[in-house]
Amino acid sequence: MSAVTRSLLSLGLLLGFGSATAALRSSAVARQPSKPELQFDIPAFPIEVAKPFSFGLSSLVSDLTFLEAIQVNGARKQSTSLAQGRNDDRVLSRLLQYSVDLDPKFRGAYRFTAAALPRHTSDGYAANVFATEQILRTGVRERPDDWQIAFQLGFIESFYLGKIREAGDAMARAARLEGAPRYIGLLATRLQAESGDLATAEQMASEMEAQASEEATRDTWHQRILDLQVERELRKIETAAAQFKARTGGAARDVATLVASHDLPALPHEPRGGNYLLQPDGEARSTATPRLRIRGRFGTQSGLIAQ
Amino acid sequence: MVSTVAVLAWNTVRELVRNKLLYNLFLFAALLIASSMFVAQLTIGQWDRIILDQGLAAIEVVGALVAVLIGVNLIAGEIERKTIFATLAKPVSRGVFVVGRYFGLLAVLVVNVAVMLALLAVVLHLAGYALSLTALEAGLLIGVELALVASVATLFSSFSTPILAAGFSISFFLIGHLLGDLRAFGDRSKSGLARALTHFSYRLLPDLELLNLKSQAASQLPVDPGFVLRSAGYGLAYAAVLLVLATLIFRRRDLK
Repeated sequence: MSAVTRSLLSLGLLLGFGSATAALRSSAVARQPSKPELQFDIPAFPIEVAKPFSFGLSSLVSDLTFLEAIQVNGARKQSTSLAQGRNDDRVLSRLLQYSVDLDPKFRGAYRFTAAALPRHTSDGYAANVFATEQILRTGVRERPDDWQIAFQLGFIESFYLGKIREAGDAMARAARLEGAPRYIGLLATRLQAESGDLATAEQMASEMEAQASEEATRDTWHQRILDLQVERELRKIETAAAQFKARTGGAARDVATLVASHDLPALPHEPRGGNYLLQPDGEARSTATPRLRIRGRFGTQSGLIAQ
Repeated sequence: MVSTVAVLAWNTVRELVRNKLLYNLFLFAALLIASSMFVAQLTIGQWDRIILDQGLAAIEVVGALVAVLIGVNLIAGEIERKTIFATLAKPVSRGVFVVGRYFGLLAVLVVNVAVMLALLAVVLHLAGYALSLTALEAGLLIGVELALVASVATLFSSFSTPILAAGFSISFFLIGHLLGDLRAFGDRSKSGLARALTHFSYRLLPDLELLNLKSQAASQLPVDPGFVLRSAGYGLAYAAVLLVLATLIFRRRDLK
């Protein structure tokens, strides 16, 4: 075979195989089965994978997911229904959970969670409340030095969930930390009084009064102790009224009736010089001071259904 | 012997300051640290956290790359280029050669960490923050970590080619940060063999997470000075063990 024939044969083979490659490829592409839709979750990897494989840079990866959460929150549409905003809610919640899982000491992520994650929907729900509570509970455990995280947890629990006792505990924890404003302690005792945990509330108020360096602050706390004493007496009156009603079948007319029937051992002392009144519905009140109360509709202040 | 080590170390430093790869890596780290101020503006509050996280990560990653990519060439590269024979023809033992080269690299790494920390302090200052004690401690432990990684690179380059030595050293660096999880995996395993192997690896390999204070520094959390001293001591002692092993292996190596 001559050199020219060999060259022509090689060229022919090259063109033949080249054409076959192109034709077969287009034919295969036309018959290719459709792929199931592949959609990565955000973040793409579960935390159990991301944490070890950040190779000592978990804090930096946590920053990145936090920055992404800020962008997602910025792009989130306001005033949508629960169903319409569900996808954004899930992404934001997941990113923030991821950030604090990667770096449980990330103070900024906890504070941002409290501010950005709960959402009032257009159809009367408070979305992401349980996710926020869970993240903030981790925050209180991991950053016991930060009063804002404990305060935010107390706010979420009282405002959205009506968990007054837990909220009181969280607020009391916040009030004892350095830098916490004075009103948080007052709020904590109000919550504890509402939940019926008067002993803890009185203990905290006495502690705060003893620690106060200014006369005005000491007086504020002294007034709160008197409020709590009133609350204790009001609860005794209400218990006695309930006993009276159970025994006689009718409501007591006033506090003196309860003393006369021996449901109350003596006329209770009102520390501010007022009187105790018993209302027809069995609720008691003082004429000198309003009662420590915090609840609103549905047992919460927000009046929304938490999700 | 000490003066010979010092001369070799100084010559290594002079050689390294002419290395373009070193400057490229330093420039990359400097850009990362400087750009952290702009990245920080994307967040809400706590700018110092982003700057510290990005800055300390840049110091660590670039330092580890310098320690590995340049470290493996200090011995294995000399052997490949046959330039080692000119040095060994002089009254210099192989052990002293290895130690001298290592200390030269170490000096460059220490200067690198110090300069990058200073740059980080400047960026923090421009953003209105100061470098905390924990950040300084984190920087110190990064320096110790780099000393350890450099000793790993020296060990592998004493008996292997530069490419293989770089691969082994980078693997060591990555595994060193995974040891805690490896142990947890072993504890959860039902296989006795897997448990024994993971516990053996945990004891044998360097635990680089003991030298990682970046998260605490970013969160401005105080760290027990006793921990810092013990961790630094652990890292340096581990590096010394690897260096001794490297000299023992290199003494017996056939260089032809």
